[in-house]
Amino acid sequence: MTARSESTGSGADLNRQLSRVRAWIGQLRSGTRGLYKVLRANPLTLVGFALVVLITLTAVALVIVPPTSAVFGYPISLTPYDPNALLPCPTVGNQSFCAQPPSLEHFFGTDRAGRDVLSRVLTALPLDLAIGFLIAGFALLTGGALGLIAGFWDRPGTLGAAVSLAIMRVTDVFLAFPSLVLALAIAASLGRGTIPSIIAILLTWWPYYVRLTRGEVLAVKHQPYVTAARAAGVAEWRILFRHVLRNIAEPLVVYFTMDVGTVLVVFSTISFIGIGVPPNVPEWGNMIQAYSDYLLIFPWVVLFPGLAIFVTVLAFSLLGDGLRDILDPRSRRALSQAETPTSAPAATATAAGALG
Amino acid sequence: MGRSKGDLVIFVSKRLIQLVAVLFGVVTITFFFTHVAIPNPCYVWSGPRATQATIQQCIDKNDLDKPLLDQYVLYLGKLLSGDWSTSPRGVPVLPTILAAFPQTLELVVAALFLMVVVGIPLGVIAANNSGRWSDHLVRTFYLSGWATPTYLGGVVLSIAIGPLVGLPHSGNFGSIPTFPEPFHMSVLDALVNLNLPAVVDAVAHLILPATALAFINLGIATRMTRGSMLEVLPMDYVKTARIKGLSDFWVLYKHALRNSLISTVTVLGITAGSLLSTSVVIEEIFQWPGVGRYAFESIVKYNFNGTIGVVIFFAVGVVVANLIADILYGLLDPRVEWR
Amino acid sequence: MLPPQPQQRRGRWGDFVAEPLLEVKGLSVDYEVGAGTFHALSDVSLELPAGHVVGIVGETGCGKSTLAHAIPRLLREPPARIRSGEVRFRGMDLLTLPKWKLPLVRGTGISMVFQEPINSLNPAFRVFDQLSEAVRIRKRRETGQAPGVVPGTEGFDYSKREGPKPADVLARPLLPAGPEARKGFSRILHREDFREDALDYLRLVRINDPETILDLYPHELSGGMRQRIMIAMALSEKPSLLIADEPTSALDITIQAQVLTLMKELIDEIRTSILFISHDLGVIAEMADDVGVMYAGHLVEYGPVNDVYEHPRHPYTKALLRSAPNQYKADGPLPSLSGSVPNLSRLPSGCPFHPRCPLAKPVCSDDPGPVLEVQKGTAVGHVAACYFSEEVAGLP
Repeated sequence: MTARSESTGSGADLNRQLSRVRAWIGQLRSGTRGLYKVLRANPLTLVGFALVVLITLTAVALVIVPPTSAVFGYPISLTPYDPNALLPCPTVGNQSFCAQPPSLEHFFGTDRAGRDVLSRVLTALPLDLAIGFLIAGFALLTGGALGLIAGFWDRPGTLGAAVSLAIMRVTDVFLAFPSLVLALAIAASLGRGTIPSIIAILLTWWPYYVRLTRGEVLAVKHQPYVTAARAAGVAEWRILFRHVLRNIAEPLVVYFTMDVGTVLVVFSTISFIGIGVPPNVPEWGNMIQAYSDYLLIFPWVVLFPGLAIFVTVLAFSLLGDGLRDILDPRSRRALSQAETPTSAPAATATAAGALG
Repeated sequence: MGRSKGDLVIFVSKRLIQLVAVLFGVVTITFFFTHVAIPNPCYVWSGPRATQATIQQCIDKNDLDKPLLDQYVLYLGKLLSGDWSTSPRGVPVLPTILAAFPQTLELVVAALFLMVVVGIPLGVIAANNSGRWSDHLVRTFYLSGWATPTYLGGVVLSIAIGPLVGLPHSGNFGSIPTFPEPFHMSVLDALVNLNLPAVVDAVAHLILPATALAFINLGIATRMTRGSMLEVLPMDYVKTARIKGLSDFWVLYKHALRNSLISTVTVLGITAGSLLSTSVVIEEIFQWPGVGRYAFESIVKYNFNGTIGVVIFFAVGVVVANLIADILYGLLDPRVEWR
Repeated sequence: MLPPQPQQRRGRWGDFVAEPLLEVKGLSVDYEVGAGTFHALSDVSLELPAGHVVGIVGETGCGKSTLAHAIPRLLREPPARIRSGEVRFRGMDLLTLPKWKLPLVRGTGISMVFQEPINSLNPAFRVFDQLSEAVRIRKRRETGQAPGVVPGTEGFDYSKREGPKPADVLARPLLPAGPEARKGFSRILHREDFREDALDYLRLVRINDPETILDLYPHELSGGMRQRIMIAMALSEKPSLLIADEPTSALDITIQAQVLTLMKELIDEIRTSILFISHDLGVIAEMADDVGVMYAGHLVEYGPVNDVYEHPRHPYTKALLRSAPNQYKADGPLPSLSGSVPNLSRLPSGCPFHPRCPLAKPVCSDDPGPVLEVQKGTAVGHVAACYFSEEVAGLP
């Protein structure tokens, strides 16, 4: 290796760092290649993954470039029209028809106030998506931390056991409330609006992560390799971070991915009922509620936001559901061996999977 | 082995005690959120249009000027004695909920039935054909159900598909029934009265809301069945069943499913909460006279006591459903000890 | 080339036997996984005459289990793929049968005992439920209430010079249940009717307290007990062919000895033909009449067991036998072969063993490789797939 031939001076350090970077890039490339192979084998997951990437990038772009912005005096906007602008409605005789069906100027049509539906749907995207990530992420962090504590430090007779018991009892109680109903009640009593709704969902969402994380931690804790590590004298915190966290990460990631979609639906439901986002703010649930009675008359005002929700949640669910299959240990082993077929044991493992 | 009849009694009793403890916690948390976490609760409870006099009345009636511990004890007492307070217009909460409950039960049972009858075979098919197009199709189907917000599905079914197919989409009967309703459940009442046209009418009214409720949650049954079947199918005892000469149907539905049902059934019990939540929106859209619609209207019309009453009631429902699921799990899996 | 005509061979009980019960011709099975295709079986041919016990021996990964599962088509079609070949059971090619007809052959035609008794019994049902299910299947087929292969109603009469024709004894090919079968009051036979039969079969496998065992769940039993119950269940359907896939490998040595003794006694009592798979040379020596040696998916040698063990005609067989520990080799390390089993997705050309073979010559790596050939100077029916089989005797 080059590092050895220049064993003195700063040249050695540089070479060592270069080889480390090279190794890292190599890992990245083989990881990407592995990811590509895996995605190709699971077409549904690929669709979900592509959609999720597309949607997230669009949301980010929409945030960076708000509808009314200008570069060097030239107005640029990702949305064709200002979502809140009341555009002039075509009039026939002395009646103005504001709600126009989809056309070339308005791809998704307009609503009764003359606002462009496409712009509103696009504007609602970052809001809904951000709320989904925010709430699910927060619940993952708080619920996950609590679940970790409750699962890992529950040896009977210690302070940890008492704390774990307390955490689990409180979680059980919270889990008894159906989440949507409780969120509605909290939002109703905290006053109505976006922030109270977010707080309401947050308060009802973290218990699920506690239960999930604790279950996973318990399952990992009793594995032989953890016992072996402990017997070898590995420190507790190291066991926690290297063994436990790495192994529970996968089911948590899967659940989180699907949860983003679920939270989105819950938030839009709260908006639909009327106690979430204020009436004229573009939000998918809001938009559907305003025109639900007019479904047969102005279907486009209801269907396009609905389609937006549907596609977004479906994308996340496909990705999460596919991730679960991919990360399942059995298929993971088969996939990793397909990349490096070495010897008969690999064939035996595949054979074992194929028998019966 | 710990599975005698005596053990079963202990098993159920232990869980009943846990149930009481959890319910106690539920009530306490509710108290916390309604009496403690909100400053000046009566401002919120009396609604946005309350006058000072109404608020003062509310404070007196709800003992809000007493020390917190006294409030708590009084609160518990009232709940247990059935005094769940009243709506702003004076309609008592608990009797309303109890009267509306059987309708919701009927709807939930119908939805569960659909989920089991449609969802489980779909999960079996998906697992059996894992990786092939039917698997992808089933997965897309149930993920679509999951991705459709409750209200959207309900609205589409009610306003678009209902008239298209000719099914009624409002209420649980076409016209107010003229026969006695001992059960307060539309189909059962009509059956008990041997009134065939009413039975048909009741079932017709039940179809759309039950389908809406089930469609969203079909995913749960299908996904659990598919997942646990995928774990069960490679097991040796499935091979044994095949080599005995049983047809594919019996191998799947008797030997494999029996083992994967264990986890599916418990999950179904746990999704009771989700079903109850979903019923709030569905019942409102379809004007189904159940607890869900009462909840919706309480929330929207600032009936705070009604809202809290429903929250507690649903919590009881969820806990009972979890208990049933837990007991079923102990019964279905012969390896579980009844401790 | 296949072993010589069965009419020239004597069965276990000293008689002549007729057409083979099971004929495997040129069976090749691949596993397709990701970027690799593993050739689990390559052109395997063998014949199992009725009334015989044939053993298949080989290392882990040589394809014996695949062969055992391929015959009743228990392989999961993806990832496994049967590339070519025939599996004739009682004259029917199982590989071309439509899938829905396969259950009709299984159970009463071909049955199987697996390696891991822990997983082989359904944990959700009692022993009685599972055993009586098997008995019920057989009874329904015997009375014609359900279609399926039917076991012979009388045993072989081995006193006859000319063996019985399969069509006579192992009667009735696949027939739908005809109207003549439903004579009298045909009711669905209920599980309870089979209590006595279930008890009989449990006693057959030397279980001492069958009444108690019947009501237990599998997780309440020991491994040896479970394996006996598996054997009882398989035999209760009176199969013409029983495939035993390493039935004792997962048991401890004492239980293993008990189960093997049991199986030997049963073979003589019931006279089911058995295909016995094992990696243990000693077990095969005890149980089998003929043995086939497999290596890397190929059948490299086949013949009467004593002859193959005493006069191996394939270098791999010789090496295998040499490396088996026995009480006479007390000094020095166990001899072993250099190299390792080839990757099944990258088999060597020609003979699969040639990279490790002490007798290898250039011709050994030419495709196609050596085929099974009759070995002169050995017992009748002894074949080996080696160009230089005569030199094997001279190996150390």
